[in-house]
Amino acid sequence: MVRVLSGLAGLALLAAQAAANEPARYSFTAGTDISFVSVSGHPSWVDGSAGKLRYDENSEGLTVSRTFVDYRLRIAGTLNARIAAEAYDDDIGSSIDFTQAYLEWRPLTLSPNRYRLKLGAFYPRLSLENSDPSWGSPYTISSSAINTWIGEEIRIFGAELSVSRRPESLGGAHTFSLHAAAFKHNDPAGGLIAWKGWSLHDRQTRFDDVLPLPPLPQIQPDGFFWRQDPFFIPFQENEGDIGWYANVEWQYRNKFLLRALRYDNRADPRNISNRQYGWYTEFDHIGVQISLPGEVGLISQWLVGETVMGPFIRGAHVVDNGFESNFVLLTKAFDRHRVSARYDDFEVTEIDQVPLDENRERGHAWTLAYRFQATEKLGFAAEWLEIRTHRPAWAYNDLATTRTERQLQLSLQLRFGQLH
Amino acid sequence: MGSTPAYALLVRFCCAVALCLLAIATTGARADGITVEVTDREGQPVPDVAVFANLPAALSAPAGTSAVMDQVDQRFVPHMLVVQTGTKVEFPNSDTVAHHVYSFSHPNHFKLPIYKGHAHPPVSFEESGIVVLGCNIHDHMLAYIVVVDTPVFAKTDANGVAVLDAAPAEGMHVAIWSPRLRDDDADLSVAISDANAGSAIAFQLKKGLRPPHEDQSEVLSWSEY
Repeated sequence: MVRVLSGLAGLALLAAQAAANEPARYSFTAGTDISFVSVSGHPSWVDGSAGKLRYDENSEGLTVSRTFVDYRLRIAGTLNARIAAEAYDDDIGSSIDFTQAYLEWRPLTLSPNRYRLKLGAFYPRLSLENSDPSWGSPYTISSSAINTWIGEEIRIFGAELSVSRRPESLGGAHTFSLHAAAFKHNDPAGGLIAWKGWSLHDRQTRFDDVLPLPPLPQIQPDGFFWRQDPFFIPFQENEGDIGWYANVEWQYRNKFLLRALRYDNRADPRNISNRQYGWYTEFDHIGVQISLPGEVGLISQWLVGETVMGPFIRGAHVVDNGFESNFVLLTKAFDRHRVSARYDDFEVTEIDQVPLDENRERGHAWTLAYRFQATEKLGFAAEWLEIRTHRPAWAYNDLATTRTERQLQLSLQLRFGQLH
Repeated sequence: MGSTPAYALLVRFCCAVALCLLAIATTGARADGITVEVTDREGQPVPDVAVFANLPAALSAPAGTSAVMDQVDQRFVPHMLVVQTGTKVEFPNSDTVAHHVYSFSHPNHFKLPIYKGHAHPPVSFEESGIVVLGCNIHDHMLAYIVVVDTPVFAKTDANGVAVLDAAPAEGMHVAIWSPRLRDDDADLSVAISDANAGSAIAFQLKKGLRPPHEDQSEVLSWSEY
């Protein structure tokens, strides 16, 4: 399905391009981040272990951490297409793959309501950090725990309808909007938060990525969840039920924004397809961003949810985990420089009474970042990231159950195309 | 508030005298004009307020009257344009990116499908009222056209002062408008009953102002995600 969708989107783009007979029907931003990374922590989950960072002592040093293209095409006056693809320097999936591919229709009806329809694969209206091309962040290199998880496990393969209104009685300064979506292909979402826990990094899961899972005893061939492959596919449909989310939003000029979302993937937690369990995952999200006096910006997000998986034992599902995280980010820009600081707090709790699958964790993280935009096409970023976690499941793999993981990343950020 | 120090009273008195002198000087220089001053709740001047004098009968602009609402760096320029009914307003796009300009404001609503440069003929605004402009591609773009059915209009300057080029006359209404004002409509219009008293009009606002549009911080990114 994912391949079909991306194929269709690609064909639509080619057809539209062939028909395009005037310039500037498309725009794109491409970029690459060349990084030097120094790290001290558990072996990374990206390498099939359980550490929270994207890099570990085996992968530190010089790396092309991210290469991307974010392409937009105007098919007709109110119909646009967008595709984003990312390439990473690791062993997961193909070297380059899509992260987003969708059509967006923005009809103008001359009524006070504005309608928008998105169709395809896209991010839910949630992150307040990832506003740069291809879901990058203008503030830090690594996303917050919340948005890292959204990038890892959550993608909307479906449709989103938005209605927004800017009442003229309020001087046109306020915009109120409602976004509702129906989707499929996100049934395993929740598995990573249970089995790996929260992370902070900048790696987004692409459509056909197959992610490693920590080598937990319960997912080994002789473990309780022997029917689960020891790797994880977040974007697949297990049983055909349609998930949904709804978000409401209030924006007051470029001063204040408040959004609140509820997500429910409506997956059947007992269903296994393609050797992947369905994880019935629900969460609530509130995000706020405020432009404070003195050119200081504040972003804060809070997400709380629950994920349930596996057969019924003693009246409850075998795995039932609560998860919660919040962060506060302060940022200040002056001239071509920007400094940002973020504090993340995260937790996974056990709601089930079954001891064989221990997924509890509690932790917090500090991120300090500096960015310098030398020219439109050349930037420099430095980030210090420190995550302290207590995770009992690390004992399964003979790792210390309380650990402070630290990472320093220096990046040269090259950008090309019609930058927007 | 506690008691006001004597020196502050003195300063206020001097300011008042200076303002009176200024008003006399201004009206003296333009004996036929109406000086309109707009101040906020704290008495500070409010710039960029549309000021217009409604005459007893509505009057449209002569044929050929035109004005320009430009688009530069993904902003409308100016942020507020005042025109007389019947004026043809051009919406050139001076940006490198395309825009899709629209207004839902009844009855002057219109839309200009995606374009660059001077692709569309000017839009003629035949009805008085506020026209709120937007761009269907760039949600943050916002501007206003104040359409008035009188040739007598102006915008307040940095001192919150505008001079209307008309002699005060019975039956005239002087009104002000800006997207920053939150006062009731009734408080934003004054009827001139005595021709002599109408040469200087002061509006002191009762409600706080919305922040100016220029005061738009770039410290945060306001994404369309």
